Amino acid sequence: MTVSHARVLGLTVLVLALIAVPYALPALGANFWVNIIAEILIWSLLAASVNLLLGYLGLLSFGQSLYFGFGMYGVALSINAWDVGFWSALAIGMAAASVMALIAGVLAVRLTWHYFAIITVVFSLIFYFAAMSMKWLTGGDDGVSFTPPPVMNLGGYKLLLTDPTAQYYVILGIVAGCFALMALIVNSPLGLSFKAIRENDRRAALIGINVYRTRLIAFVLAGALAGVSGALFAFFGRYASASYMFYHVSGEAVVWAIVGGASSLLGPLFGAGALIIFRELVSNAWEHYLIAVGVITILVVMFAPRGIAGSWNDLLHKAFMRRSQGADPNKPAAVIEEPR
Amino acid sequence: MLNVTGLTAQIGKIPVLRGVDLTVNGGDTVALLGRNGVGKTSTLRAILGLLRRTGGSVVYDGRPLNDVAPHKLASMGIGYVPQGRGIFPLLTVEENLLLTVKGAPNRNMLEEMFVRFPRIQERLRQPAGTPSGGEQQMLAIARCLMLEPKLIILDEPTEGIMPKLVSQIRHEIANIAKRGISVLLVEQNLRTAMRLASRVYLMERGRIVHEGTSAGLQTNPEIVHRYLGVSLKNVKGVIQ
Repeated sequence: MTVSHARVLGLTVLVLALIAVPYALPALGANFWVNIIAEILIWSLLAASVNLLLGYLGLLSFGQSLYFGFGMYGVALSINAWDVGFWSALAIGMAAASVMALIAGVLAVRLTWHYFAIITVVFSLIFYFAAMSMKWLTGGDDGVSFTPPPVMNLGGYKLLLTDPTAQYYVILGIVAGCFALMALIVNSPLGLSFKAIRENDRRAALIGINVYRTRLIAFVLAGALAGVSGALFAFFGRYASASYMFYHVSGEAVVWAIVGGASSLLGPLFGAGALIIFRELVSNAWEHYLIAVGVITILVVMFAPRGIAGSWNDLLHKAFMRRSQGADPNKPAAVIEEPR
Repeated sequence: MLNVTGLTAQIGKIPVLRGVDLTVNGGDTVALLGRNGVGKTSTLRAILGLLRRTGGSVVYDGRPLNDVAPHKLASMGIGYVPQGRGIFPLLTVEENLLLTVKGAPNRNMLEEMFVRFPRIQERLRQPAGTPSGGEQQMLAIARCLMLEPKLIILDEPTEGIMPKLVSQIRHEIANIAKRGISVLLVEQNLRTAMRLASRVYLMERGRIVHEGTSAGLQTNPEIVHRYLGVSLKNVKGVIQ
């Protein structure tokens, strides 16, 4: 078996496990965990939006909660005001987040490093306080509640989010679609430009890559992802609240992305999964469990800087490269010699 | 093709270029020589707009480059191989080559690079930072050629390269010139510069102090010794 075979096998097991969740967990008497896994899937998209910028472009954003909030309010307000359907509300949420990301991105992507991080926080804070003060529209901290429309209405059959299994599969389908789209993007010439800019933006410019435009595209894509995440979370909780636009939400997403493995496509899913499960297991017993989250993050940054996904990849490489070398001990992994 | 007139630039408050004049004609190979720190790399960086120009003009194909963003230079036909290779070490060798290709990869071009640089093909899936320095330099040149440039600017392409690979790199630069591509070459290696270039410029303290043909420089040991600090005798023996 090669490393790529092992990766495909791992991905297949993960997908099958996620598909089995609504049946397997209740069978084990753990109904509660179905919703937790659904929540992990939603948050993994927010972490993925951080990862798209941090892992693929080297831009650390502490402001993704802003687009998450726009996704939430796009759904809640459009349903309450115009009585739109599920998919239209989802599209409006995503579009609202993308437009906001475009506006912020036009200024933000001119900067890099800590300046970029600071401006993303500043944008996030400005709109957080604006949303908190515009209670007539946003409901402030209390938020705006709504009744989710049916996901599908085929003849007499309605697919409703009130059915926990249907809700889980709708969330899984949309999240999987977003990750598949991200996989296409990061493996396309555009994704290659992202990585080139991450490595050295000046060199990237000199081979014809428009660094500003590419960063802006990535920023808007990341905003759209955060918007979908927010929209799904609004459907999941049946409400939108300005409190989710605060930067501590962005900070959590950064931690999930780093622990899971920045620059790995599925790293954010692993990071959000590991830390949300940890929270659920520990927070009831220990009020200050965030101290442990902090320690875990520090340990990961120090000893496994490529996160869970990176460590898993390294493990696969070690296991299968050694085996493949063992099959033919006379054949070295690489030949490095100079011409005679 | 490239006309640089009275080019001045400074780093902080320190002037590094004090009025550089040089010309690269179509199909010409021109070498810029000088001791360390005289402003050779700064000249290239100022031409490309990577170092802020404070005066003078840079005209390429009749178009001033004063307000041209660096990312537009590639589409105008200017390729640059910086000092220290300038590859993307964490991307694979193949990704480095494909980066420069807009839209669908030009397979013919890629195949041509494999014929020119067979060692690159052997390393396609490796991170570009792992091959030897010489192979990385070949990759940098191949990547630049993938842009189908009309002018290639090379900054010390043989610096830090194993002697065995220097001759191969030299051969490839000569091939580039044979294809009609203009070359502006900064080089510490006088032997390489004199073999490749038809014309040479010598720099001293941010200025061009000598301009002439490569053949002419070979008959002027005093100039070579004064501005480059080497004896032409040590170089001459290998000039064909």
